[in-house]
Amino acid sequence: MRSFVPPLSRVLLWPSLMIALSLWMKGGGQVGGGFPAGALAGLAVLLQYVVAGREQARRYVAVRYAALLAGVGLLLLVGTAFLPVLAGYTPVSLFPRPGQPELGAGAFHLHTALVFEGGLMLIVYGLVVTVIDRFALSTARGEDDVP
Amino acid sequence: MPVLVLPILLALACAPLAYLAGRWRTGAAAWAGASCAMAALVALCWELMQGPARLVLPWAPTWGLSLEFTRDGLSGLYAAMALLVGALVVVYSRAYMPHHLAKEGRPARDEVRFHVLLLSFMAAMVLLVTVDDLLLLFVALDLTTIVSYLLIGFDREDPESRAAALLSLVLTGATSVVFFAGAMALGLQYDTFSLPLVFERAANDPPSTGALVCLAVGALGKSAQVPFHFWLPRAMAAPTPVSSYLHSAAMVAAGVFLLQRLYPLFAPAVAVRDGLLAIGLLSMTVGSLMALVADPFKRVLAYSTIAQYGYALVLVALGSEGAPLYVAAHAPCKAALFLTAGAITQVTGKKKLSEVGGLRHSLPVLAGASAVGAAGLAALPLTVGFFKDEVFFHALAQRGPAFMVAGLVGAGLTLAYTLRFWWGLFGGPRQDAPAAPRLLVAPVVVLAASVFVGGLLPGLLVAPSRAAASASMVHGGASSLELAYHLDARAENLLAVGAWVLGAALFATRRAWTPGLTRLVEGGSNFGPAHGYRLLLHQLDRLSTWLHEKEVRDLRDRVASVLVPTGLLGMTVLWVTPLRDRFIPGTVDWADVTLVMALAFASAAALATLRARNHLMLVLLISCVGFSLAMVFAFAAAPDVALTSVLVETTFTLLFAGLLALLPSRRLERAQQEAQKPRGRDRISAGIAGASAFLLSWSALSHLQADRVGTQTVKLAEVAHSPNVVAAVLTDFRGLDTVGEMSVVLAALLGVTSLLKLNAKGKG
Repeated sequence: MRSFVPPLSRVLLWPSLMIALSLWMKGGGQVGGGFPAGALAGLAVLLQYVVAGREQARRYVAVRYAALLAGVGLLLLVGTAFLPVLAGYTPVSLFPRPGQPELGAGAFHLHTALVFEGGLMLIVYGLVVTVIDRFALSTARGEDDVP
Repeated sequence: MPVLVLPILLALACAPLAYLAGRWRTGAAAWAGASCAMAALVALCWELMQGPARLVLPWAPTWGLSLEFTRDGLSGLYAAMALLVGALVVVYSRAYMPHHLAKEGRPARDEVRFHVLLLSFMAAMVLLVTVDDLLLLFVALDLTTIVSYLLIGFDREDPESRAAALLSLVLTGATSVVFFAGAMALGLQYDTFSLPLVFERAANDPPSTGALVCLAVGALGKSAQVPFHFWLPRAMAAPTPVSSYLHSAAMVAAGVFLLQRLYPLFAPAVAVRDGLLAIGLLSMTVGSLMALVADPFKRVLAYSTIAQYGYALVLVALGSEGAPLYVAAHAPCKAALFLTAGAITQVTGKKKLSEVGGLRHSLPVLAGASAVGAAGLAALPLTVGFFKDEVFFHALAQRGPAFMVAGLVGAGLTLAYTLRFWWGLFGGPRQDAPAAPRLLVAPVVVLAASVFVGGLLPGLLVAPSRAAASASMVHGGASSLELAYHLDARAENLLAVGAWVLGAALFATRRAWTPGLTRLVEGGSNFGPAHGYRLLLHQLDRLSTWLHEKEVRDLRDRVASVLVPTGLLGMTVLWVTPLRDRFIPGTVDWADVTLVMALAFASAAALATLRARNHLMLVLLISCVGFSLAMVFAFAAAPDVALTSVLVETTFTLLFAGLLALLPSRRLERAQQEAQKPRGRDRISAGIAGASAFLLSWSALSHLQADRVGTQTVKLAEVAHSPNVVAAVLTDFRGLDTVGEMSVVLAALLGVTSLLKLNAKGKG
């Protein structure tokens, strides 16, 4: 009964991440966005921690450097918000500007908001995964203490 | 892309560059940072050639907020000073810090941290002098305060250094809040924070004295002037390069700079200027007298800094054109002397004048270079310092004989303590010391050379100081400042000669008056403002302990201390807002059944929390409330909100459960027992909080108008190429809020990591 859970959870990781990415991509047009995408990706990693343990979950680069990814996310966010200032626009000016022709097809919109949402996603993901990782680390230490 | 920001960007890049270089190799950090600072200096000089300019980046135009930078003589002079001295001090620290860290028993890697902090301070200083906006001025001022806290407390294992850092943070932070109050008052009065606009409107409608006093207090605190002067000598607990930079060219100069930048506001307010004049003269006297008896050589220099910025304050208060020149001429002299003191401490291991002496034989180059620096400080001819006293005497001579006598005495005292300092280090019977590392001496030589060149060729200084003076004067009128040696019997020359005679006489007779003066100064310091500060801090400590004990008696009190004031505030709001038809009972029809079901589920879960027997159950019940609210959103056809809240709810439930696993079970059981003890006052606080929340939501829902914001937002979201309204609001309409919120999330992340790391460390 237990035996199929760990392989299944490993298999589930990639589809969950794909769904998270698609939530991010289509956030501008339909249900989705950076925030839920980050939370979903974090949950997918949480599953790995619960089923496979900290050692196994930390095999993935994106898990080991989650806190760093949150920092990258903030840079993306701040960059999208303030780079337009240098070109003389108000902060958080997104391109294409209202009225300019739209790029993209179907639910997918090519827009600087996508970068902004990407920043959101990375920050949320980084927060969730780092906190999980710290919890896992602390519980592991706690169990070691018990003789 | 305007070129005005190039020096600022280069200055801002120094610290990250030093950090990256330090990751690669510890020793490279200083060189990378210093060369970047020099590049910024070159860019600055190149741009100053092109004349004054302003750069305005609109920020929130409807509120009159914008990021404004200026390039004028004043900012150029101060920025050049900060960059030049900063680069030299960083190079010096390359030699100084490894020794210092080894002595403190700390890893050599901490050197990188030191350079990064010092360069961040430099960047904050460059920012401070180039902004042209009251709010940004305050932001930059606080940046310097925070970084200086970290720098002064760099030896964090040393309690004295921590206390000194806290003292300087409290004093300069508190005074900068007062500055902020003044800036806000001006902003409200003139409806703008942009300095040129403020100056323009102030010409017709002068600012209130209160606002000016607030601004002056902020500046005086930074400059360590008399009521606030005692943080500066204490700050000498920092490593010497820090003292050398903060207290000669940067932190302390920032205060006088603020007064010069805001001078057009102060010009008509004669009463405020007279107050500043009195404080300046007082600082001159107090600082000089203390410098005459202090024994640790860094303290002598610290008191001398207080006195010298007293002079600068006098110049500003008199409206003299020489004020920027005075500060700029003082910086290299004082920095050179500080670096000398550091080199001697490193070579001999001694910190007091009474323990050293006669070092001129073993350290001839250092002795020569610091002699030039000391001569500059004491305003001897052939150094740039001569001109700082010339403009000082010139300004005083116009005010009358009493001021001339004050200036004469002040300059005499300066010469006396500078002689005492130099002679104490290098004069007297020969003592031998190991040779100083070349890197410790070279920056002193460079600084001394700049002092000397400035004195030989005063013509070089005329253009920059005129530009600086005219930028800080009213209406930017041209300055008629001139610098040259005159061999005639004019008042300035007579005063200078008098001061030299007085200083030499004081130095020669020092054995006669030192004991008496020491007793006087020690007696005074027992009743001074330092004592008041200690008392105040003690009382504040007691107050905060008392409040803390009231608040954290147990979890319920802590929650109540947040909820009850919030509830009372909400009720007050409802009480005072004149809204008609405040509470409308709505109608429920068949379409709402699903909503009612979801809400009933939520209330059932909320009620069940009252009977929950353990913590895990509580967490699950609370998440039930959250999920049922997500259900409400789903029924209300807001799928994106529902999705987000389901995901967030799941994440938080799981994290909560994980957190419970971390807590020791014994403590959880005890908390459980305590939480279920019946207590009367819990009912009252719950009643207040609940009633307020209920009434507020009811009142808000009674005033819902579907067509008010919603339709407009939907329309605008289409235009912004984002049919998903929530995403459009989050990224576009309220994008700046999102940036702010996400920074808070990241700060929380840092907090969580460091707390849990501590926890893990404590266990391991």
